[in-house]
Amino acid sequence: MTGLFGAGPAEVVGTWVAATLTLVVLGSLLGERRMFGWSQHLLAGLATGFLALIALREVIAPRLLEPLAADPAGRPELWGGVALVAVAAAAPWLPRRVTAVPASIAIGALAAFALAGAVIGTLLPQLDAAIVRPGSDLGATVVGVIGAVVTGLVLIGFVHGVPRGRILTSAAGVGRWLLVAGIGAWLGYLVLSRLILLIDRIGFLLGEWLGFVP
Amino acid sequence: MSDRRPPWSLLAPALLLVLLGVAWLLPDLDVLGLEADDDGPQADVRATLDGLGPAPLVLIGFDADLGTYAEVRPTVRTLIADLLVRDARIAFVSLTVEGRALATSEQARLRRGEANANRMLDLGFIPAAEAGLVDLTRSIRPDDDAGALAFAREVSTAGMAAFDAIIVVGGNDLGPRSWIEQVAPRIAPTPIVAITPSVLLPEVLPYVASGQLAALIGTPGDGAAYRSAAEVGSLERLVEAGGPRSLPILVGLLIAAGAMGQALVARLVGTTRSLADRDRA
Repeated sequence: MTGLFGAGPAEVVGTWVAATLTLVVLGSLLGERRMFGWSQHLLAGLATGFLALIALREVIAPRLLEPLAADPAGRPELWGGVALVAVAAAAPWLPRRVTAVPASIAIGALAAFALAGAVIGTLLPQLDAAIVRPGSDLGATVVGVIGAVVTGLVLIGFVHGVPRGRILTSAAGVGRWLLVAGIGAWLGYLVLSRLILLIDRIGFLLGEWLGFVP
Repeated sequence: MSDRRPPWSLLAPALLLVLLGVAWLLPDLDVLGLEADDDGPQADVRATLDGLGPAPLVLIGFDADLGTYAEVRPTVRTLIADLLVRDARIAFVSLTVEGRALATSEQARLRRGEANANRMLDLGFIPAAEAGLVDLTRSIRPDDDAGALAFAREVSTAGMAAFDAIIVVGGNDLGPRSWIEQVAPRIAPTPIVAITPSVLLPEVLPYVASGQLAALIGTPGDGAAYRSAAEVGSLERLVEAGGPRSLPILVGLLIAAGAMGQALVARLVGTTRSLADRDRA
């Protein structure tokens, strides 16, 4: 499960470290929170270190510093990037109006890409796929109609702040319950995923560490 | 910082761990086999791979999540072995840091398992989320170290057009949906296969229905069916023995259902009592 091959010293040490940390985390279920806290610090520290390493080795050095060092005048847009990074890094000492610029660019660009992609890649193709076309079989027609009705009711459930009659209020209530049912189903999937993770760790302790074979 | 809950309330999680451990140790029952039917999603995956032709170039978007990777890990490892058996050349790319960590770990495992290094290319981490995906469709810059590989030069020259298929290992923020939204509209039609944990099923299933995903393995059953049908031949060593065990999953789900039922009954009893108290008052 660790993905380690063989039984060399490195593999044995790796398995023991993983087993110890797994026991520490599971120990929090049984009330031991102090060591669990340390393990959380360890995870946060490792994640931050890895993030810094990735940022330096795979982003800043090859995509910013090396091209600039090779040809400082050839890529003027990178100097703009350097300026934005410098402003973001110096944010605690600069006026908010200045520091808002890199954050605004980042958020705006991200939102633009996400919105355009959602419309072109999801909304339009999904609307197209949901249209019941002449010649479709009865099953597809029924599923399409049910899908349209459910979608409509859930969207009505999000209508707030406008005067509504009795029918719209009832439809909005049904829409909200359908939404709750959908979220409940999604949580069921989440329970399954997390349960498999827990079983995987128990299997690691029993199988790979203690050597039991089911 | 020790827990101050009464000892009896700590018994429940301990009992849960013991029960799951015992269930893990017991042999699986055939009747609980996770394998779905042969014509299910695993057949779509195999059909997609069969249709790729000799020595295909496959891009693996590796953005799994640590919290759900255990569910898809055996299937991912089998799929990689399956691709290598088919003489595929594989390129790994990640758009999330967590995905990059898992991709690095899997590539290290493949090297330790003596998989053919000339058939694997590490495209590394692409920053900037959705914008990074769009950038990927415009140019791909393999690491200088990979320049010796013939297919690295092919990828560098042709970009995304070099790839015969895309496999997305999902679980993190940038999963199959992002690839379908940002990459698919910008490149020539290329089959996209997704492997995701079941928690993403409601999000990605519509893309299968609309034909935007060529195939999806999104449940433990689909994964088990694919693993049992895949023929990895001499690369059996790269495949993870077993997979999620069905008996502990069943036990865990029964306990979860019991906990939910207990909460529901407790609430009903509380409501009934308060109504009765109000009547008496």
